[in-house]
Amino acid sequence: MDWTTFIQLTVNGLTLGSVYALIALGYSMVYGILKLLNFAHGEVFMVGAFIGWGVLNLLGGAVDPRVPVWLLITLMTAAAMLGAGLLGVVIERFAYRPLRNAPRIAPLISALGVSFFLQNSVLILYGANFKTYDTFTLVDPFSGIQLGGVNVWIIRIVVFVSAIAMMLGLFALVRYSRLGKAMRATSFDREAASMMGIDVDKVIVKTFFIGSALAGAAGVLVGLVFGQINHFMGFNYGLKGFTAAVIGGIGSIPGAMFGGLFIGLAEAYSAGYISSVFQDLIVFSLLVVVLLVRPSGLFGRATIQKV
Amino acid sequence: MADGDPVDLPAPPDAQNRPRIGVDEWVGQVEDRREHGPRVRLVNAWNELHLAAKLAIFVGPAAFLPFVVSSDYWMQVAVITALYAVLAVGLNVAVGFAGLLDLGYVAFFGFGAYAYTWLASEHFDLHWDATYAIPTVVVASAALGFIVGLPSRRLVGDYLAIVTLFFLFIFNTLLLNADRINIPFKEGSINFTRGPNGISTVDPMSFFGLELRTLDHYFWLSLVTFAVVVGALYLLNESRTGRAWRALREDPLAAELMSMPVNRLKLLAFSIGAAAAGLTGSIFAAQNGSVFPVDFDLTLLISLYAFVILGGAGSILGVAIGAVTINVALELLRTPENASFVFYFLLLVAIVAILRRRAAAVLAGIVVLGFLLRLAAEGVKPSWTTGEDRGLTWVDRLVEDWVLLPTDIARIDDVAYIGLIAAVLALLQLRGFVRLAALVPVLYLAVFVWQNVLVIQPSVARYIMLGAMLVALMAARPQGLFGTPRVEIV
Amino acid sequence: MQEKPGLKKLAAGVAVALVGALALTAGAVAKVSGPASPSASSAELARAQANCRSAEIGVAAPLTGPAAFLGQEQLSWAQFAVRQFNQSRRTNFRLVQGDTQLSASLARTVARQFVGRRNIMGVVGPSTSQAVISGAGLFEAASLAAVSPSATRIDLTNGQFRTFFRVVPNDSGQARSIVAYSVDTIKATRAVVVDSQDDYSTALAAGLQSAFRARNVQVDRESVSNTTTDFSTIATRVSADAQVVVFATQTPAAAQALSDQLLSQGKRAVVFGTDGAFSPDEFKPRNGFVSGFAPDIKASRTARSLVAAYNRFSRNRTFGTFGPPAYMSATVLMTAINAACRDGRATRAEVTRFVRITRLASILGGTIRFTARGDLTDPDWFVFKVTNGTYETVG
Repeated sequence: MDWTTFIQLTVNGLTLGSVYALIALGYSMVYGILKLLNFAHGEVFMVGAFIGWGVLNLLGGAVDPRVPVWLLITLMTAAAMLGAGLLGVVIERFAYRPLRNAPRIAPLISALGVSFFLQNSVLILYGANFKTYDTFTLVDPFSGIQLGGVNVWIIRIVVFVSAIAMMLGLFALVRYSRLGKAMRATSFDREAASMMGIDVDKVIVKTFFIGSALAGAAGVLVGLVFGQINHFMGFNYGLKGFTAAVIGGIGSIPGAMFGGLFIGLAEAYSAGYISSVFQDLIVFSLLVVVLLVRPSGLFGRATIQKV
Repeated sequence: MADGDPVDLPAPPDAQNRPRIGVDEWVGQVEDRREHGPRVRLVNAWNELHLAAKLAIFVGPAAFLPFVVSSDYWMQVAVITALYAVLAVGLNVAVGFAGLLDLGYVAFFGFGAYAYTWLASEHFDLHWDATYAIPTVVVASAALGFIVGLPSRRLVGDYLAIVTLFFLFIFNTLLLNADRINIPFKEGSINFTRGPNGISTVDPMSFFGLELRTLDHYFWLSLVTFAVVVGALYLLNESRTGRAWRALREDPLAAELMSMPVNRLKLLAFSIGAAAAGLTGSIFAAQNGSVFPVDFDLTLLISLYAFVILGGAGSILGVAIGAVTINVALELLRTPENASFVFYFLLLVAIVAILRRRAAAVLAGIVVLGFLLRLAAEGVKPSWTTGEDRGLTWVDRLVEDWVLLPTDIARIDDVAYIGLIAAVLALLQLRGFVRLAALVPVLYLAVFVWQNVLVIQPSVARYIMLGAMLVALMAARPQGLFGTPRVEIV
Repeated sequence: MQEKPGLKKLAAGVAVALVGALALTAGAVAKVSGPASPSASSAELARAQANCRSAEIGVAAPLTGPAAFLGQEQLSWAQFAVRQFNQSRRTNFRLVQGDTQLSASLARTVARQFVGRRNIMGVVGPSTSQAVISGAGLFEAASLAAVSPSATRIDLTNGQFRTFFRVVPNDSGQARSIVAYSVDTIKATRAVVVDSQDDYSTALAAGLQSAFRARNVQVDRESVSNTTTDFSTIATRVSADAQVVVFATQTPAAAQALSDQLLSQGKRAVVFGTDGAFSPDEFKPRNGFVSGFAPDIKASRTARSLVAAYNRFSRNRTFGTFGPPAYMSATVLMTAINAACRDGRATRAEVTRFVRITRLASILGGTIRFTARGDLTDPDWFVFKVTNGTYETVG
């Protein structure tokens, strides 16, 4: 058993998977409260990545940063989270709120419109070339820990750990805080919650903010680990994040986390052990099987329908 | 209940003895019922017509298109539009009639195209006549639709959507990689699809030996296909199956309790939609003369959903009109000159339609503001008025003589663009006179951004405009052009 | 509820506007596309004269979507070429954009649009080989010259498209050049060939695979989707004793990412990018190689003023390997149109004839001349060694 390959693939899978999980959380949260699939979420992720890049360049770029590296990364992430969160709030206010009572298929088109708008706005503002975070110049590629013969780059550890930390923070928020209670109540029965004095609109706004902020953080993390960002990256990551949310059981927060990691690992193992050519095929077939075996997703609760 | 208050009661069954829909729908349609304008009268009149008359009105004038238009480009657009209309109508079966979110629909389209290619091209050296190839493709597509629909027995709603989406991805990956399939017990590998390079030797369609050669022929074939498919689906929708689908869409649990064969209905919806897509795919392949995997991906699916939802899911006419309008509009925007026309036209019409009598004042204000700014710039910073011509038409030249045109738009364009978005969003929050007053500089900024930033990049501007319009249209009319307003209790 | 009526009016306004715009342009189109049959030679003559007064050049490239970086760079350089030519020769050429977005069906539509637009006398593009297969037949039927700056599939110039030309070499030489350098200089005994699942790379990768096998090099074949950003798993699959990973891609950023991953996983293999990966701004590994069909234009002394002028024109937009060939394509076309217009009138067929006999000094060195089938007469492949981002011609 080749442990080095296994460890390397696991590291790859967990890094990618934690990013997917962060994006999936946003989908799950919004779906839980509004039963709405926010297809513009991938573009919020992309905007977060660009905000991070903007801050990086503002503070001197990777070649000559004016602040210590760790402060730089923290600032980038914070700025991206704030910016993406605000963007999510704006999208909710103008694209989704008018459709609150419309059939569920209507916000799909609105989300599409927002998606086109954001993608092409970034294209016009930043141009079509890939922008680089140049992380190898920022952080030595060989710094990291040794794990069974494999050199795990420190940035990968940072990504994984911060993603897990954010997810745990969110879990704690939903479980133990008042806002979390309000969110859970709203997702259970929106009308009853508003009748109990919960300001449903505010809860929705905060949900969008948190979900989008997580996506923005994911954007910066992706930029750091993989180095390249581009106006079209939201499409694929958004799709994978959405898939992760559904696989884990849409509406369920632990489900989204698990779903993301599951997909990341599945991609890594299938490409590493079976074939890189048919990687996508294998992963999708696996996901179809998972859904057929567990129709409400891995962590989804089979909801009892009231007749 | 208080006396004396006029109450709008639900209407009794209609002339064809179809029962009216339930109370929730009635609530949702209350606003539409209050309207008595020409639109409602027109729609009612249309609904009373016989199917044949409707088809004649819709398809008849279109049949004369090849005689009026002699540009190959517009005939190509017409053929593609007609095919997309058929596709949209087919998607409407699963999404609009039966309420199933089918995100893998484009795979059937691709399958139809490739299946026809296998039967009638140099690839496997089969050259079937279309009279045999097309039915084979349709039946095969229906079978594929059946298979893809099988998970619908266990999965509902968004989970079914995701499985169909996976099917689309699997299909796409197969298309890209099926040029090196190794069959056990056989030497070498079989090349099914030639991978990303596609198959470019597709035969033109021939019925009983008569070949379809020109775009006009394919256009008429597409129209005939449209009429046949629409007619068949309309009749199906009016039959028991259609009513069963509507019941399934509104409340699957109740439908099941009323002993409707829910699973069979879902499979039927998938199969019929797939058959329509397969048929369209074969015409598409023959007309293009080639098939590439890249034509059958998520982007097309997104367009189809836009047609269906904007046109009004559930209404065949709405979906067809949605397909035609959006496709033609996108093509219109493709020519760089048209972009400016469309933009200013939209702007003017929007101003007039929303503001009515105050539009003149606002327009005058904008024009005056423009002249003032220009005079100021000429005095203080002349470089702001000496930029070179950016647009291509007389409209652009006219406007560029009036609006500020900086020579060096280095940072200004980014700031102006983002500023415009922020300003428009802020504007939507204001009310009353303040809103009117703020409208003047914001509209000026919009013209400034258009002339300096967007008109240089018409291909990108196209999508920005499309995105903004989609959001605005859905916010204004979520049920689409011809859909019935529905209320969903979540 | 206060907002609803306003928004409803907005929707009504928009709907009316859409229909109105449709009607407006339908009318314009009907006027423009009048009866196609030429009545008398005087009409043809007038048309030929008009062609010279208001000649346009079309650019068919992916301007939005995932391949936008390719098309936008080509568009930018083509615009630059038109400006330079207009300024130096006092002509009045204009550029028309056609967004093909990597879709073969759209490429066909754009081809028809260009053919139907009377003033277009030549086309820069189509950029991708698929788009050429879809659209070049239509150009040929209209005798419209299409000069591509980036479609390199070998079979495009096997005689099937008689008005198709390209200012870049086709892929047959590139595989040989890469393999020869890998075996002779790098002394590779095991190689990995990676394609990016598009029409450019799969054909090239297949050629590389068979060329390596012919030299008795053990070769593994991998594949990534062309939108992947995570190359860690591919890097993991590269065996520890492979010396070179040949990556056929059109995204230099992807080659850089692969190189980073190989480095951080401690693999000894270096990345050898194909010509699509050539970009001193985006592909700058510590150690690597890149194949190219021309020397680095930024290092060329003769092209220095041109590059400076382009930087001024485009406000220092970064560029790689796709832009300069687009400049040459546009210049070839404009030169041919100018020559055809010396007698005051020109038809598309005439312009194509002049393109065929082009003899133009290339900004990338050498002269541009076309074979009977549309390829360059003396294609040359270069190998560049990249050390810490600096490109150095070695082969």
